[in-house]
Amino acid sequence: MIEIKHVSHTFKIGKKDNEQEIPVLTDVALHVHKGEVVAIVGKSGSGKSTLLQTIAGFLHADVGSIQINGQETMHFTEEQHAAFRLDNFGFVFQNFQLMPGLTAFENIELPLILQGVPSNERKQRVQKLMEQIGLTEVAKHYPNELSGGQQQRVSIGRSLITNPPIILADEPTGSLDSETEQEILALIKDLNEALGITFIIITHDDEVANVAHRRFRMHDGILKEEA
Amino acid sequence: MLFKDQIAFVRQHIRKNKMRVFMTVLAATIGCAFLIVLASVGFGIQQTMNNEILQDEQVTRIQFYDQNATTEDLDKIKQQDHVKAVLKHTTVHYDVTASLKDRDVYTTNSFYDMKDYQAVKGKLFAGTYPKNDKEVIVGYHFAQGLLNEKERNAISDAELNVKEGEQVDYSKYGYQGDIIGQTISVAFKDQGEEGQTLTETFKVVGVTDKPSYDWQRDTSLIFSDQALPMIEKTFTKTEDNISAEYVIHVDHMENVMPLLKKLKDDGYHVYSVLEQMDQINMFFFVFKAGLIFVGTIAVLISSIGIFNTMTMAVTERTREIGVLKAIGASPKLIQRLFLMESAFIGILGTVLAVILSYIISIIVNITMPLILQAATNEDTFTKQAFVFSVIPWQLVVIAATISIGVAMISGWRPARKATKIDVIQALRQEL
Repeated sequence: MIEIKHVSHTFKIGKKDNEQEIPVLTDVALHVHKGEVVAIVGKSGSGKSTLLQTIAGFLHADVGSIQINGQETMHFTEEQHAAFRLDNFGFVFQNFQLMPGLTAFENIELPLILQGVPSNERKQRVQKLMEQIGLTEVAKHYPNELSGGQQQRVSIGRSLITNPPIILADEPTGSLDSETEQEILALIKDLNEALGITFIIITHDDEVANVAHRRFRMHDGILKEEA
Repeated sequence: MLFKDQIAFVRQHIRKNKMRVFMTVLAATIGCAFLIVLASVGFGIQQTMNNEILQDEQVTRIQFYDQNATTEDLDKIKQQDHVKAVLKHTTVHYDVTASLKDRDVYTTNSFYDMKDYQAVKGKLFAGTYPKNDKEVIVGYHFAQGLLNEKERNAISDAELNVKEGEQVDYSKYGYQGDIIGQTISVAFKDQGEEGQTLTETFKVVGVTDKPSYDWQRDTSLIFSDQALPMIEKTFTKTEDNISAEYVIHVDHMENVMPLLKKLKDDGYHVYSVLEQMDQINMFFFVFKAGLIFVGTIAVLISSIGIFNTMTMAVTERTREIGVLKAIGASPKLIQRLFLMESAFIGILGTVLAVILSYIISIIVNITMPLILQAATNEDTFTKQAFVFSVIPWQLVVIAATISIGVAMISGWRPARKATKIDVIQALRQEL
């Protein structure tokens, strides 16, 4: 499903005449199977989020190969990346990244609007999904009227609505209390088991990593699988 | 993304910043309305001038100046397509005074071949055309112009004592009876040292039509060219004292310019008032272009508002744009959404500006003549069809193109900026 080979990336800092190169990813290799939950753990600044951004196409790695569903994405243009993300990825962010001016329902509906799905079909699909993830009661609420857990559920709903094969989650429980964290992790597990969705979870929390089938540790840009 | 959803998306953002968008639309409206109203003055004055020229029957005439024109020349011209008649107009350059009993009038004179003249003029106001050298047609105001000493004094007194805003009624003066059938005495007097005078009597047989303009007073005498030998017998004919010009009468106005060009190409000295109109139109073309240019500056100033509004919108929505890009919105779509927003401001501003301009134009055309009349004490502005502002559809198209185009250009840079927003940086922004 996801095949990453020899991916390296360096950040350049400082002025042009005194530029410093800081390696953030060094010869990263990762193979993720379909329906797998993979956790990438590591300290802040270890490069785990950079790897996720590289997979998503937010960042272009200097060298290497990233194949997703058999497609090499390293040389995609920005337009191609956007189209690929829309159809293949769902995103769950630490701080939810919901649109403040849209209701929970409208936030979940957003990717379908981008896909050009007709209004009637959108309404049906969002309604059905909201029932499945227990958000029916807050459908008309705006993000600032929701609890952290509810906001993250909406965020997960938004990532699921287009039925993507892969969900990339960057610290999905980072802003939640421990009780809500458990709820969200249980939801991820359920979705993986029920729908066979592949998850790549970035976290610094070992407990969160426990939901994963396999766990990788990122340290100074070097990725290693843990037993 | 469906177009319907794109519209809904833009509408939602506009609703969120109602006041800011309203002020920007207002600026765009004022800018565009200024352009339209300013240019409409150019169109208005041009229309007024063209109407003035076209109202005159001279538009179907071509003047032909050639004292030595031969009969062959005239025949050649007469044979051209669309030529109705070639009228020879002879004028005697002497002081001409016509008198009837104790009344007299200082006047002008014209001599025509009456057959040609009748063919061109058609029906007279009253009476018939002269059949011999002793008959004459008089101008519409000729009888009114025949004054005696008593009436001249009365008019002088009336003119001195006229109250502000009132006018002297000239119609009660002059010869009040039927001028047709009266025998008038006409004196041709040489202003030179010799001071020769020829006095002849003529019978008035007809009265010409009322002149085209209210302010024109026609007291002229129109003789048959059969009367010319009588004049030439007394005065030695020179180019200075008896001159002739030919007037080519054309069937329709649109045939004047092609015929004029042809005659010029053939080497004739010809002139038409339409040539002047061409020059006037060329002048107004440049004048209107200048006004549109000045108006465009106002539109450009208003575009700064659009640029600011759109830049603010992009800056405020950086995180939202980042989220949209992250979940799969293409840069092209983001650019289109912002361009649609600036286009909306431009289109709404233009539509309102067009409506406002028409309202201003109507008000100006109603009130300006009244204001000018009050200021100058002249009723010319209210009596004549004076048009100050005209908004033709072409002006609306030009102004709309400039206004919407400028709005789109103003929105283009912020829209490009939106597409360049870095997803990672945008997602790091706080709510």
